Amino acid sequence: MPSPFKTPAEYETPLALGYRLLPFNFTKLGGSDYVLTNQAGEYVVVDRSVLEQFVTHRLPPDSDAYQAFKSKHFLLDRDSDVAIDLLTLKVRTKLAPLANFTGLHIFVATLRCDHSCPYCQVSRQSDDNVAFDMPLETAEKALEFTFRSPNPAIKIEFQGGEPLLNFDLIRYVVERAEQINRTERRSLQFVIATNLALATDEILAYCKAHDILISTSLDGPRDLHNTNRPRPDRDSYERTINGIARARAILGRDRVSALMTTTRASLSRVRDIIDEYIRQGFSGIFLRPLQPYGFAVKTKSYHSYDVDEWLKFYFEGLEYILSLNREGLFFAEHYAAVILSKMLTPFEPGYVDLRSPAGIGIGAIVYNYDGNVYASDESRMLAEMGDTTFRLGNVHRDTWQDIFTSDALLDPLEETYTGSVPMCAECAFEPFCGADPVFHHATQGDLVGHKPTSVFCRRNMAIFRHLIRLLDRDAETKRILMSWVTS
Amino acid sequence: MLTLAGESLRFCNIDDRRRFVIRLSSSPTLPKPLRESTAYLSKAPHDTLPPDFPLYVLVGDAQAAEKLIGDRRAVILPEAYAYLGSGDILRITPHRCAVRVLYRRASPNNSILLTERCNHYCLMCSQPPKAADDSWLVDEVLQTIPLIDPETRELGFTGGEPTLLGADLMRILTACKNWLPRTAVHVLSNGRRFADRAFVQAYAAVDHPDLMVGIPVYSDLSTIHDYVVQADGAFDETLRGILNLKRLGQRVEIRVVLHKQTYTRLPYLAEFIARNLCFVDHVALMGLELTGFARANLDALWIDPHDYQGELYEAVSHLAVRRIRVSIYNHQLCVLDPRLWPYARKSISDWKNEYLEECKGCLRRQECGGFFSSAKLRYSSHIKAFV
Amino acid sequence: MCDRAAAREVRFSRSIYRLETIKKAAYRLTDRCSFEFTVDEDHIHCYLFSRDQTSVRADDELEHALRNEVLDQDLRESIALETGPIRNAILAYAFSRTGLQDAEPI
Repeated sequence: MPSPFKTPAEYETPLALGYRLLPFNFTKLGGSDYVLTNQAGEYVVVDRSVLEQFVTHRLPPDSDAYQAFKSKHFLLDRDSDVAIDLLTLKVRTKLAPLANFTGLHIFVATLRCDHSCPYCQVSRQSDDNVAFDMPLETAEKALEFTFRSPNPAIKIEFQGGEPLLNFDLIRYVVERAEQINRTERRSLQFVIATNLALATDEILAYCKAHDILISTSLDGPRDLHNTNRPRPDRDSYERTINGIARARAILGRDRVSALMTTTRASLSRVRDIIDEYIRQGFSGIFLRPLQPYGFAVKTKSYHSYDVDEWLKFYFEGLEYILSLNREGLFFAEHYAAVILSKMLTPFEPGYVDLRSPAGIGIGAIVYNYDGNVYASDESRMLAEMGDTTFRLGNVHRDTWQDIFTSDALLDPLEETYTGSVPMCAECAFEPFCGADPVFHHATQGDLVGHKPTSVFCRRNMAIFRHLIRLLDRDAETKRILMSWVTS
Repeated sequence: MLTLAGESLRFCNIDDRRRFVIRLSSSPTLPKPLRESTAYLSKAPHDTLPPDFPLYVLVGDAQAAEKLIGDRRAVILPEAYAYLGSGDILRITPHRCAVRVLYRRASPNNSILLTERCNHYCLMCSQPPKAADDSWLVDEVLQTIPLIDPETRELGFTGGEPTLLGADLMRILTACKNWLPRTAVHVLSNGRRFADRAFVQAYAAVDHPDLMVGIPVYSDLSTIHDYVVQADGAFDETLRGILNLKRLGQRVEIRVVLHKQTYTRLPYLAEFIARNLCFVDHVALMGLELTGFARANLDALWIDPHDYQGELYEAVSHLAVRRIRVSIYNHQLCVLDPRLWPYARKSISDWKNEYLEECKGCLRRQECGGFFSSAKLRYSSHIKAFV
Repeated sequence: MCDRAAAREVRFSRSIYRLETIKKAAYRLTDRCSFEFTVDEDHIHCYLFSRDQTSVRADDELEHALRNEVLDQDLRESIALETGPIRNAILAYAFSRTGLQDAEPI
């Protein structure tokens, strides 16, 4: 008696009719390995011969590669086309944050600073020159601009110089923003980027009362930190550590974060730097490259090492961090986490420097102490060196519409969109990467940049390739990397 | 295993021609107005029977029961039904002298069958489909719902394929919302009908306060899923149904039965869910129940659960690290990778939940979910008591 | 204007490749050398120049890299041709306002 149940083969017959390609890009990974990505950023690694077979419609349906391509939405066959619905949803999810517009609003409270770091990306002015403080009228205007953004989540970040030197301004902005927010009802968050040297108990108590986050600089262990960040009393490290402890005690452990900056001196010390972060109780670190702006260019400290040396530093750091995780300590590298979330989830992590369209203006905006509006923090630094390409206007002179429809903003956004510039448009890493017109303008004199010689491109491609290899290394490494994404 | 139904039982003085549902009470002082719609439950040793109940149900000691009945309408049930209690609901079918227990107040696992018709023919189906028109079940369910204790935590609706009821499904869910506002409702469905815009909108319009639909997805590949459920085009339609449900803010659980046809690609399925369906409310990875079609297809389905722990761990890790809620059902602790114990639930319905000889003296018996009664047919060779 | 005689010449058949393809492939190597192109009836001629012209002449590696890039670029064009319409359709759907999609296949 024939079975009422059909065999697997009977469900596979449509596959013999062939398949259609879904949109994807490919890039050489290394050797004869190629990585393919679709519009949602999903990826598959195959040998070039398999890629060729795939594109020429000769890939057998029972092969591992075919099944991977089908599962990850690189092909459509006669048996199933729900891939279209799912791809559309994922692409929509990735693009959705665009509609929210500017989320990060940076207020430069003052250019005055009590440190004199050689890599500083703003002009430093001596401690007592109040002409470089943001006046209240400017803050009021900037707040108007801030709430013009439709974003349901607004983050106001105070920078400087050293913003605590103009604490009255901070108080004013925080309280005014809270007042405005009673009708606006956004999710409002405040951050102060400070070296904490001047954080009195009173200031910290105020931060606690208004739920203000602290972001401070910790470049590594004492000798490294003090070399990078000179202070007249040579005690930057002690003040920072002390500040972190006091801030945590008053605000709470997870209300204080730290950022490090890499200099030539840091390059051989990645383990020491990571150890310092662990010692200070942080659960992750952002291993940043040195940016070519401000004093970095003036003092030639940008050219003092090249990308490959930094990559060596970064990969060594990553390896060390992975080994720590394997031993049971949860510790993440935040730049990798941003990229991994683009690689492994349909969500856009919102990191301003890796977005396309670029994050300038539409992701983050800067209101300088003098009312000038800049497309990004780096744009402001360029202006301090005499290049005002990315100065969008002034809060006292221009309306919000003037600024957001200005050519100074729209042209770079449009011209640098990675989906349509040479090399990027066809690059497999495009879904993980971003446009950085300010960087390319500063280093190559061209908004789009010449990608074959772009430091930005070289650095990021090396990291993408490395992370793909790591994800493939073994299940434990993959699990560790994934755990950084949802943390 | 509990006996939940029987035929050719001892019926006394019952002339009704039609089947009916009735709720039990063992309270002899139940107020008279309530007695009109209630059956009196007496368990051996039987006491005198209180008057004015339209039906008497006596369990055990048939001899003594016979003597007490007189000319009352009564059913005498064997000792196997001694678990019955106040609040339980029975279906009485007089022309077959049959009784089926539809609802047990003391049970955490009440499941109501909506239809035996189905548009799938799953290889491992534990409730093989029947084509006959059983739409009379709809009316019965609508009569039963008002009798259910409103403090019932959770109620399940199964089939067959519940969405084949069409608008009647919404009538039933609305009845639950009205009569049982504090009861969570869990519907099992292949999800395909939700690809129909009008249907999913009507479902969402019920606006039930605590409703979830459990939908099986057996593979990341359409050919394998369609083969397991024995229906062409099932994968696509099911996924479209899930997307529609989620667009309308409805809660969805994905269910995967683990057997030889589904375990090899389980890690890929987990990745597929994490990438495409990360908004689902829960993922249930379930051990195979060897009843119904599963017995006929045993060779195609059977794998010792011990042998797929690698795939299971990888799949659960992947979902858990993405913060997707995941549970493992119907697996014994001795057979599971210990790292998976936090995800194991005691999931087997009480009435079919048992333990084996090998479980004697096991220290973890309380936490372990045990077995399906049908496991006696075949079970893992790695069952071992924890000592 | 560089001396073509000192450059390395790589030829591609016009019956197989388009000039656009060759140019896109060459662009990727412009960190290592610069290019000039001429076209005749049957071939596209690529001239590879570097500052140190002797090193270009000796560099089989660069020619190898260029040929491989051209092959890759050619593959990319096949993909773009086949998937262009559906790429745009997916973007259009992604930006559309409708909450529920029609079940019609593309």
